[in-house]
Amino acid sequence: MNLRIEAMGEITHVMPEGRLDFDAAPAFQQAFERLFRGAGPAPAAVIIDGAALEYVSSAGLRAVLLAAKAAQRSGTAFALCALQPSVREVFELSGFSQIMPIHPDLETARIQVRAPKK
Amino acid sequence: MKEQRTSVAAQATHLRELTAFLQEFWSSASLPPAECLAFELALEEIFMNVVMHGSAGADVPQVDVSLALTPAGLTLTVEDDGPGFDPLSLPPPDVTASVADRPVGGLGVFLVRTMMDTVSYARIAGRNQLRMSKRLEG
Repeated sequence: MNLRIEAMGEITHVMPEGRLDFDAAPAFQQAFERLFRGAGPAPAAVIIDGAALEYVSSAGLRAVLLAAKAAQRSGTAFALCALQPSVREVFELSGFSQIMPIHPDLETARIQVRAPKK
Repeated sequence: MKEQRTSVAAQATHLRELTAFLQEFWSSASLPPAECLAFELALEEIFMNVVMHGSAGADVPQVDVSLALTPAGLTLTVEDDGPGFDPLSLPPPDVTASVADRPVGGLGVFLVRTMMDTVSYARIAGRNQLRMSKRLEG
C-alpha cells in the first residue's frame, strides 16, 4: 500500500493506494498517530479517499476504526469517500457504514465534513 | 475440475505469497475479478488466525492451502497442524456499536462467514481443517 496525505486548507486528505491488509495496517495506523499527535494542531477534518483502495481486510478495518476513534477524541470530523464496490461491501457487512460517514465522492465529502453538526 | 495447493509455515511474512497463489489461480481460471476479494479476505483472515493461535504451541504450524474449482463454485480449504482451534466458535461481534464503543477486534471470522456461502470446521487426525465455499456469479 502507498499512502498519500495532503493537507488542503483545514481538510486533510488521506489516499491509500492498493491493499489495506495485515501487512499495511501498521503504517496506516502510524500515519494517523502522526496526524493527531504530531506537533501542529489536529486537522479540522480528515477524509479518507478510497478511489485507489483495492482491498481491505479486518486488519485494515481495525486501522480505520482506530483512526475514527482518534479523530473523535480530537474533535476532528472524519469521513470516507469514493470506495470501490467490493471494498464498500466489506464496510457495509462489518457495520462500519452505519457508524462512520461514507460519501460517494470527494466533492460530497468535502461539503459534508464542513457542514455544522446536527 | 481445477485444483491447486500450496504449503507455507504459519508466519505472517507468508501472507503475501498465499495471496499471490490465489490471484494466479484466479487469473489462470479466468474467474470474475469482482469476486476475488471475498476469497482473498477469507484466506487472509483464516491464515492470520492460524498464525496468531498457532504461536501458542512450541512449533510453528505448517499450513496447507488448496483451491478447488467445480461447476458448483470455488472451495478454499485451509489446514494446519497447530493446536486445535475452531474459529467458528468465536461469538459474533456487535456490528451496531458506535465508533467510541466499538471493540477493535473480532471482525475477521464474522466477515468470512458472511461473505462465503458455506464455512465448516473439522479437526481431523490432529489437524484443523477449515473449508469455505462460494458460488461464483457471472
